[in-house]
Amino acid sequence: MHIVVCTKYTPDSEAKMSVDEEGNISWGDSPLIINPWDEYSVEEALLLRDQHGGTVTVLSVGPEAALEALKHAVAMGADEAVRVWDEACAGSDTLATSYVLAKAVEKMGDVDLVLCGKSTIDAQTWQTGVALATRLGWPSLMYTINLVELRSEERSITVERLLEEGRQVVEAPLPAVLGTTKGINEPRYTSFIGIRKAAQMEYPLWTLEDIGAEREKVGPQGSGVRWPEVFEPPAREGEAEIIEAETIEEKARILTEMLLAEKVI
Amino acid sequence: MDFGWTEEQRLWRRAVRDFAQNEIAPRVREIDEEEFIPREIVAGMADVGLLAPTVGEEYGGAGADWMMATIAAEELGRADISLAVPVLYLVEAAWGFIFYRYGSSGLKQEYLPRVTRGEAFLGIATTEPGGGSDILGACRTRGQRDGDRWVFNGEKVYISGVRESLDWGGIHLMLARTDPDEDAGHRAFTFFALPLKGTGGVIPTYFDDMGRMGISTGGFALDEVRLPLEHQVGELNKGFYHAMEGFSAARTLIGATCVGASEAALAMGMDQIKLREAFGRPIASFEGVQFPLANLYTDLEGVRLSTYKAAWLMDQMYRHGAATHHDIALAAAMAKLKAPRLGFSIMNEVADWHGAMAYTKECPIEMGIRGIRSYSIGAEGTPNVMRMIIARELLGKDFLPTLYTNKS
Ligand SMILES: Cc1cc2nc3c(=O)[nH]c(=O)nc-3n(C[C@H](O)[C@H](O)[C@H](O)COP(=O)(O)OP(=O)(O)OC[C@H]3O[C@@H](n4cnc5c(N)ncnc54)[C@H](O)[C@@H]3O)c2cc1C
Repeated sequence: MHIVVCTKYTPDSEAKMSVDEEGNISWGDSPLIINPWDEYSVEEALLLRDQHGGTVTVLSVGPEAALEALKHAVAMGADEAVRVWDEACAGSDTLATSYVLAKAVEKMGDVDLVLCGKSTIDAQTWQTGVALATRLGWPSLMYTINLVELRSEERSITVERLLEEGRQVVEAPLPAVLGTTKGINEPRYTSFIGIRKAAQMEYPLWTLEDIGAEREKVGPQGSGVRWPEVFEPPAREGEAEIIEAETIEEKARILTEMLLAEKVI
Repeated sequence: MDFGWTEEQRLWRRAVRDFAQNEIAPRVREIDEEEFIPREIVAGMADVGLLAPTVGEEYGGAGADWMMATIAAEELGRADISLAVPVLYLVEAAWGFIFYRYGSSGLKQEYLPRVTRGEAFLGIATTEPGGGSDILGACRTRGQRDGDRWVFNGEKVYISGVRESLDWGGIHLMLARTDPDEDAGHRAFTFFALPLKGTGGVIPTYFDDMGRMGISTGGFALDEVRLPLEHQVGELNKGFYHAMEGFSAARTLIGATCVGASEAALAMGMDQIKLREAFGRPIASFEGVQFPLANLYTDLEGVRLSTYKAAWLMDQMYRHGAATHHDIALAAAMAKLKAPRLGFSIMNEVADWHGAMAYTKECPIEMGIRGIRSYSIGAEGTPNVMRMIIARELLGKDFLPTLYTNKS
């Protein structure tokens, strides 16, 4: 089994975002971390590897800072890590990023399964995984909450997807792209031995040429999304009301009436 | 001179902080009240590599160097200011290393993999009812050879981890007199690996501690306790040297743990003084509040650096042969002298900033004050003993007070 995990670096989840006059986004001096949702993918990949054998490769499209995400995944236990970057990739949207990811996965050649997190905590588009599956022409198994069974001999997989209305069990042939979601597992912490490996390992850098990607399909010119204006959302206004009553039951009754009146419930 | 961290050190600090802040910090009050460290925390520590990481990989350790061990101690102190979890960590990291270095291979195979998995405890037992500072003079525990057995009689007190060892299994490195000749000086004592659980003739006792409630302090009497020869740790009658080596390691890690707990206390204090207002302004804006903060922070940075230097010297010695046991004893004693006392002062000041709330259990600072006092009173050596070591290194051993006591 060759399992690839796509991962991205993001600012720490406690970082505060700000936007300046020119529309530049800043996350202050927040430390960079692996996108927290990707930790579930790395964990699931490690569990699968331990069960079925094989290798786990983590893949990230990004500048040098992307090494933070790769190192974290290696420190968790991933075997290999690849970074793809070219200055031309800066400003890519999910359309362009998924193109680069697909090219990198195709270059690897022998991939059985690609795992992605459900979204990134900074951009929150929820699109990259689906886009990657479409580009590769592989089944897309997004929002997987439970990996029921992987049959490596038969080259097929059964997963349980978390949908708004409930759960759905689906079966798909391999190779496939699987999007994990919170609850699928409990990601492990990085370990001393893993960190030693992560700190000493070489992280190969693949260029656009290496993966055979066309320049016009990456960066802003390869992107479908434009950002005409970026601004800080206006501060939220609202009123707080404290419900006064003798008993907790009475308070609950008043609250329910108010919520019904406002048509919230 | 380089004050930067290597990539491995940076990632390790982040890893330990991540684990400790998520899994330990929210449970410190519970640990203090329930008086034990939950098993899942110990298991988690094992997974991260926080149990006796200084032991070699062949026994389940990580072969961690002392700088890495020190970083972990600091982060655990930051997460658990009651110091229970840090004590578990540092006792095993320091004395596990001594056992790894000097223990017999059969016994190491039996215990170290269990210690690093969190399924056995490893501790140190030198102190006796007659005293802890005069470690040799007070040592009445006798070890005598009887054929293929060592036989022990005596008593050890104020020993960390007695309950843990009895519950989980494990060993305490115990110092015993093995040469009855009073003129043998410090070459009359040997270390032994004593399993408290399941060993006949071991009679445990417990003390009701002031703080660091999550880890037990106890003692045990030894009544004709018999152990196979392979339980000897290190050379016969060289126990004093092995003890000094272990103390240097433990004291360095204590320095780091107290630094971490102090940093956590100061951070807590700074949040408080920025928020709390009196006389129409935040109390942080008063000179009477911010100047002590500036002083304490400066002192803390000094202690922090001297702790790192002690760790660095240990790595110089163990990895590069470029420092001596004397260099290390001096550096570790300075860190151990300063860090717990400073931590105690910082916590007292931070308590003042919190006002009455500090005197309640709503505020964690009281756990810190109770916990850190163990190290400023003297677990792993009292402040005066640290001063004696520092003076010995400065003046030479001709001026050791014990020399005069023994002569008279
Ligand atoms: C919480 C806790 C955990 C402990 N855990 C362990 C453990 O796991 N294993 C273990 O072996 N021990 C342990 N100890 C014991 C510790 O090592 C001793 O408390 C310490 O060595 C001091 O010994 P003592 O308590 O007998 O005090 P004493 O040696 O009686 O000292 C009393 C006072 O006299 C002072 N004093 C002594 N000699 C001199 C001198 N020459 N000049 C000036 N002043 C002097 C000391 O500094 C001290 O202030 C623990 C102690 C505590 C508090």
